[in-house]
Amino acid sequence: MNMPANRPIISVRGLSVGYGNTPVLRDISFDCRPGQFISLLGPNGAGKTTLLRTLSRHLSPLAGEIRVQSRPLAALPAMDLARIMAVVLTDRIAPPLFTVFEFVALGRYPHTDYLGRLGAGDRLAVTTSLAAVHALNLAHRLFADLSDGERQKVLMARALAQEPQVLLLDEPTIHLDLKHRVEVMAILRDLCRTKNITVIASLHDVDVAAKVSDRVALIKDGGMIDWGAPESALTPEAVAGLYDFDKAEFNRHLGGIELRGEGDRGRAFVVGGMGSGALVYRMLAKKGFAIATGVVHTNDLDCFVARSLGADCVTVDPMETIDAAAAQQAATLLDDCDFVIDSGFMIGAGNLANFDLVQTALNRGKTVFSLRPHQPGTPLAAGCVHCNTAVQLIEALDGFAAPSTLCRVQEA
Amino acid sequence: MTTSECCLDPVRPLLLRRAPVVFALLGLLTVLMLGINVAVGSIAFSPAEIWQALRNPAEASTTSFILWNIRIPRAIAAVFGGAYLAASGLLLQIYFRNPIVGPYILGISSGATLMVSFVMLTSVTVGWTLFTPFISTLAAFAGAYAVMLIVLAIASRIKGGVTLLIVGLMMGYLCGAVTAILTAFAEKDKIKGFVLWQLGSFSGFKWDEITILLVLGGAILALLYLQSKPLNAFLLGEEYAASMGVNIRRFRLLILLCACALAGMITSMAGPVAFIGMAVPHMARLGFGTSDNRILIPGACLTGGLVASLCDLIARTIMAPVELPLSAVTAFFGAPIVITLLLKRRVKL
Repeated sequence: MNMPANRPIISVRGLSVGYGNTPVLRDISFDCRPGQFISLLGPNGAGKTTLLRTLSRHLSPLAGEIRVQSRPLAALPAMDLARIMAVVLTDRIAPPLFTVFEFVALGRYPHTDYLGRLGAGDRLAVTTSLAAVHALNLAHRLFADLSDGERQKVLMARALAQEPQVLLLDEPTIHLDLKHRVEVMAILRDLCRTKNITVIASLHDVDVAAKVSDRVALIKDGGMIDWGAPESALTPEAVAGLYDFDKAEFNRHLGGIELRGEGDRGRAFVVGGMGSGALVYRMLAKKGFAIATGVVHTNDLDCFVARSLGADCVTVDPMETIDAAAAQQAATLLDDCDFVIDSGFMIGAGNLANFDLVQTALNRGKTVFSLRPHQPGTPLAAGCVHCNTAVQLIEALDGFAAPSTLCRVQEA
Repeated sequence: MTTSECCLDPVRPLLLRRAPVVFALLGLLTVLMLGINVAVGSIAFSPAEIWQALRNPAEASTTSFILWNIRIPRAIAAVFGGAYLAASGLLLQIYFRNPIVGPYILGISSGATLMVSFVMLTSVTVGWTLFTPFISTLAAFAGAYAVMLIVLAIASRIKGGVTLLIVGLMMGYLCGAVTAILTAFAEKDKIKGFVLWQLGSFSGFKWDEITILLVLGGAILALLYLQSKPLNAFLLGEEYAASMGVNIRRFRLLILLCACALAGMITSMAGPVAFIGMAVPHMARLGFGTSDNRILIPGACLTGGLVASLCDLIARTIMAPVELPLSAVTAFFGAPIVITLLLKRRVKL
């Protein structure tokens, strides 16, 4: 290719897509550059597949223009397009009696002679494609006998055998187990980096998309509501709006979705910090407790998780020692809570106040569950319900929520 | 790295690497079956008489007449009939990506039957003495191709294969309804002849018809063989085929046209022959162990020719002098074979 690397390989202007005369998406414009990983994100039925089918020319655009390598897509001969663009669809195809090698070799279609005979170059391309998806070991198996994950990799190998510069994939990780899901995404990312292939894929997992994509297109309500690098486009608000989240939040820093609980089983105050609270917050949210926490530094993992879960947080700036005002605020918040959890945080000069906070809770007659290793004789030991593991804490909480079965962990 | 070092060989599992052997075996059996079909019949000839008659076609003996005007055309017609029906079935199974369709799924046989029922059951054509010997063939030809054109016209307007399948079925029901009404009003003795025509027969082929079959059908098969690459791509469905560079609109019409032309030709001359078009592609796939159309197109033709010849032989001889309906024999003979093959190999089609 003698094109400047930065020239868009696909350029979309004012595109409307849909079936018949009914537009599904209107007025879309974007540019795809060589080697970019582009994710189409949006709820089911938003039109991601329709957009992909229009880009691959299975559907005609209702309005607007698509240019591939600066040439209008509509005017490209089928064979030329097949050498530029390959697709991986969600259709469940199972041609009988094909070996994986023969199946992948079908992708050589635009490169072989009129009878589709394979030359040495074609066999090399098939081998390279199978190697690129880590499926060389499947070459002599029957295609119909493959598992879902193996099949998806072989479908990608078939597309790669076309030696495309653009790869369109519709839901490439749907129906796959975790191992293959991770593997498929890693393969796609490698294709962008090493072969400079532009990958355009509709994806369901925002967290995965955020980690692999160079650009994301947020598709909803009949249009593309945003286009940009995931680092800027995937704000918690944007993701929540995209999927109409209510009880969940996407956290960019954590790179994942936090699921909020119902919050109707009582209110817990977690004395946390230093990353010790994150698992406790998630567990409380899962079990349906409302959460308050303090005092945590704003750069603490606990702070990110707690905020994503909708907890009331008492915070101080990074590196600062917890001051009296923050401690007082936390103590007030703690008064409104039904019970207190000591997450077993490490203690240093900056967060000594949190240690005092646990003592304050005991003094005010709150039930305190502690994940701190039990050390008889220390000031806190006497009053706390000690739990050695998270599992014990869950059991203790279940008992606490139904006071008649309240059982205190036996103290030595 | 050279290509020979880093390349996988397109080796197939041992079980699937047998196409040349199967070709040789089927070819041999087909030639053998042709010979038997010429040699065996309701009148017994000695090998010497047969040899004599074969070497002197112009000889004015009974043997020569029977061989050259009855048995040989019939034997050849059976081979062509089986081959074309099988090729037609193979094409439509690929087109619809559905293993249970056959050449008659688009209403060709119903169209032919409808027109023949007009000729055989009513008195409309009583005065047309000039055409009488060919009238059934012509009527079947007209019916088959009329329905085919209607279905093709519809096919060019709709996209979905399943929709077309339903259109074909409905055409079949429509034609069947008219045929049924005509049958209700027909005289009893005419009905038996009509029912037997409906079950197909390779008897009564003229040399002219054989020539048409050879030239037209041969041309279509050659065209099809050159299309085996897009046909293979089509195994993955239309969208994948299109994304690999197949011009779908043109190709769809080409497949349908070829499939209908092949089946229509046979149906107008031999009547509807059940089963072969649907089952033989399966036998060929399992026999050759591949879906590659470069092997399957000639393979299915050869298998079809062999199966049809064998069935015709059985139909002629097993209850002689009564000749069994061909469709009855093909189904009796073939259905268990297909079931057995599927159960034994446990291959998903």
